[in-house]
Amino acid sequence: MRNVSLEIADGEFFTLLGPSGCGKTTLLRMIAGFCELDRGEIWFGATRIDSLAAHRRNTGMVFQNYAIFPNLTVAGNVAYGLKARRVAGTEIATRVRRALELVQLPGYEARWPHQLSGGQLQRVAIARCLVIEPAVLLLDEPLSNLDARLRVEMRGEIRALQKALGITAIYVTHDQEEALAISDRIAVMRAGGLEQVDAPAAIYRRPATPFVASFMGTTNLLTGAVIAGDGVRARVQVGAVALDIASDARAGPVTFALRPEALRVLAPGSAAPPGAGTLAATLAGIEFLGALTRLELALAGGTRLIVATLDFRPDDLAVGQVVTVAYDPAQATAFAPAAVDP
Amino acid sequence: MIAAILAPRLRFPLAVGTIAVLFLGLFLLYPLFSVFQASFLDPAGAPTLANYARMLTRPLFYRSLANSLTVALWATVATVAIGVPLAVCLARLAVPGKTALLALAALPLVLPSFVGAYALVLLLGRAGIVTTALQSLGVPFGSIYGMPGLVLTYTLTLFPYVVLPTLAALKAVDVSIEEAGQNLGAARARVLFTVTLPVVLPSILAGALLVFMEALENFGVPFVLAEDMPVLSVQAYKLFVGEVGANPASAGVLAVMLVACTTGALLLQRTYIARRRYATQARAAPPEWPARRGLRLGAALYCWGVVLFALVPFGAVIVLSFVRFRGPVSTGELGFDNFVLLFARSPEPLFNTILLASGAAAGATLLGVPIGYVLTRTRSSLTHLLDVLAMVPFAVAGTVLGIGLVIAFNSGFLVLTGGGLILVLAYMVRKLPFSVRASSAILHQIDPSLEEASINLGVSPLRTFFGLTVPLMLGGIVGGAILTWVTIASELSATVVLYSAPWATMTVVMFQALEGTSAGAAAAAATVLVVVAVVPIALVYRLLRRHQAALM
Repeated sequence: MRNVSLEIADGEFFTLLGPSGCGKTTLLRMIAGFCELDRGEIWFGATRIDSLAAHRRNTGMVFQNYAIFPNLTVAGNVAYGLKARRVAGTEIATRVRRALELVQLPGYEARWPHQLSGGQLQRVAIARCLVIEPAVLLLDEPLSNLDARLRVEMRGEIRALQKALGITAIYVTHDQEEALAISDRIAVMRAGGLEQVDAPAAIYRRPATPFVASFMGTTNLLTGAVIAGDGVRARVQVGAVALDIASDARAGPVTFALRPEALRVLAPGSAAPPGAGTLAATLAGIEFLGALTRLELALAGGTRLIVATLDFRPDDLAVGQVVTVAYDPAQATAFAPAAVDP
Repeated sequence: MIAAILAPRLRFPLAVGTIAVLFLGLFLLYPLFSVFQASFLDPAGAPTLANYARMLTRPLFYRSLANSLTVALWATVATVAIGVPLAVCLARLAVPGKTALLALAALPLVLPSFVGAYALVLLLGRAGIVTTALQSLGVPFGSIYGMPGLVLTYTLTLFPYVVLPTLAALKAVDVSIEEAGQNLGAARARVLFTVTLPVVLPSILAGALLVFMEALENFGVPFVLAEDMPVLSVQAYKLFVGEVGANPASAGVLAVMLVACTTGALLLQRTYIARRRYATQARAAPPEWPARRGLRLGAALYCWGVVLFALVPFGAVIVLSFVRFRGPVSTGELGFDNFVLLFARSPEPLFNTILLASGAAAGATLLGVPIGYVLTRTRSSLTHLLDVLAMVPFAVAGTVLGIGLVIAFNSGFLVLTGGGLILVLAYMVRKLPFSVRASSAILHQIDPSLEEASINLGVSPLRTFFGLTVPLMLGGIVGGAILTWVTIASELSATVVLYSAPWATMTVVMFQALEGTSAGAAAAAATVLVVVAVVPIALVYRLLRRHQAALM
């Protein structure tokens, strides 16, 4: 961890996103009290909790592998935290029943963990955390052990439940699509530090660093030299071609990102939209992905460009053909020199 | 004071570590140091190298050392040669009665090996039944005393040490690496020798090391079978008992040599293992081979042959315990005379065995489980030290520990000799590595996030340990404790040095009967020891089966 400073609002769904080993789980475990802090502070509202023992922090953690106690029934698992808080027996039964209804497992009290599916176990794990009314809900890649369809379904449910209860949630994932779909705000992490903290749309559209740009889905990262600039637009030489991008740079090297969906291959004879720049390129590869088709283009000088297109018809284009690509200079994101790795 | 400034997470490991270090420091390191010190003191108590100089000029010393190492080496080679094919058959071939076979194959480990040695004497010794029968038929029969008898006994009683870990490793090999071998064009047998066996080699070596150490430090088997062939463990005992003067210097020298040998073997194996990491992520264990009828039949004969042959001596000794003896010669009549004779003297030894073994097994478990927990769940320099320390008893022969405990606690600030407690402490020290390893093995199967979930839900770490972890481990703990109990009940090498008349155990009775001429009483004592071992094992068999593989 280095220089990580975050403020998360009450009732916010906050996601820590990053590749494995970036420190997102460590940060979550620091909040839960399972990792020591060498320095720094963690506060819940007006209470400083980083010196508190893990069992006194009143967090609810949902583990990647569920961590359901195999020696207890579903009811025993959900009641576990209530018993630790010495809640009266009659109240425990009511609260367990209500929590199981919340996660859509009504009547499952007497079941044993080995009788449940992965999705059901994860629901029990969530109920077990919600029932203690934690100050913050911590979710450590809770969906990674589920199959793809269930994952999409569960993330919607988790989001709905969190909004309905108004609970603050910190969610750890390495899946950028999941993070975009579920979060109020996302913190992209790398190598123990924060790269960018912002709302999902802002992170995707205006990545602060090349790392964020490339981590949030396929992108074209290009490096070139500014040959002319007026403080708003800059003309950049990339290999043998020149592009106009929105940038305040007037000289020197520059790195910028162009999203594949911001590029369009023009049909022969049709004109570029007003304000768009155009490039000549050779089609080097076609990757058909269903709804989307990804085209790989080679610019003069060898630079590669990826273009994503929704309405691709196979007979339109063939590999080796020379095409014209249109791009919107405003959609290019140029990075401040400090954000670019040496 | 120190606990107050430490993070709460570290208090439990620190407490456990402190207790473990104090216990092992007092009852293992201090006695060992005493032995070491004794070997460097002259009768007047002045430091000297004369003891070593004297021992190093005696041919007896070199013969003992050479014999001990030779026997241990041959026993290791023989157990590997027998055990590895057995494990391969059990892991990869359809052998009939596999479940029963597995249970029986593990049995020799818990049966007292010197009983097996004694049974061999009864069958093949000078006045042995088979020997006399053969001689009456005019068939010449050589001696089984000395090297051949020792190697045979060790092979028959110690081969499970190789079979169990090898079998577990063979079952943990990922099927895809064998399939990859075949896919690349190697025949099944070639894959076995070029892929599978090299991958499980660390496990085979781990088992081989156990055999080597056990054969090196065993006292009972050479005492019964070696006769005039000197070996280190027996010579150290004899010198210690017969030592004149207050300082057991000569015994000390032999003891230091014995510790050096076992430590050397341990370090050798550790350096080899440390350089090799072959763990495969087994998603599916390889299936049984579709073998031809002839191969299946051969495998079945081999497996059942080895396992039953290993149990023959024990069966024979039980039968013989019901035969009337006149001195060392059997009369051929059946009866309970031997048991009457045995228990008429005194029933005390049986009660002593049960009492001491129960106390020591409980002690070793209570100490071993928290140590195993700390070693598995926390990583620091403290746990590293603890890890090494908890394995030291493994490298110390029972005779050596016994001698050390006598020297250390015969006088001074704490006098323990002559009581039962010193036996309990010796057993606890000797069985601690076993308890620690058994409990770490169980803990490796319990996901740490279960404990974190409990703490996260508001239960303190200490209450989580007792309320969640211990119940989850309970099956394994009880199984491990019973196995510990059984091996303590047949412990001889430390007992024979430490016992005093009121605290004689069944193994001591057996030992004394061996020195006398009453073959009947010895056979009866042997039978009692076998029953003491087999009954608890049979009772918890189901419990143990789950943890058998984890024990190694």
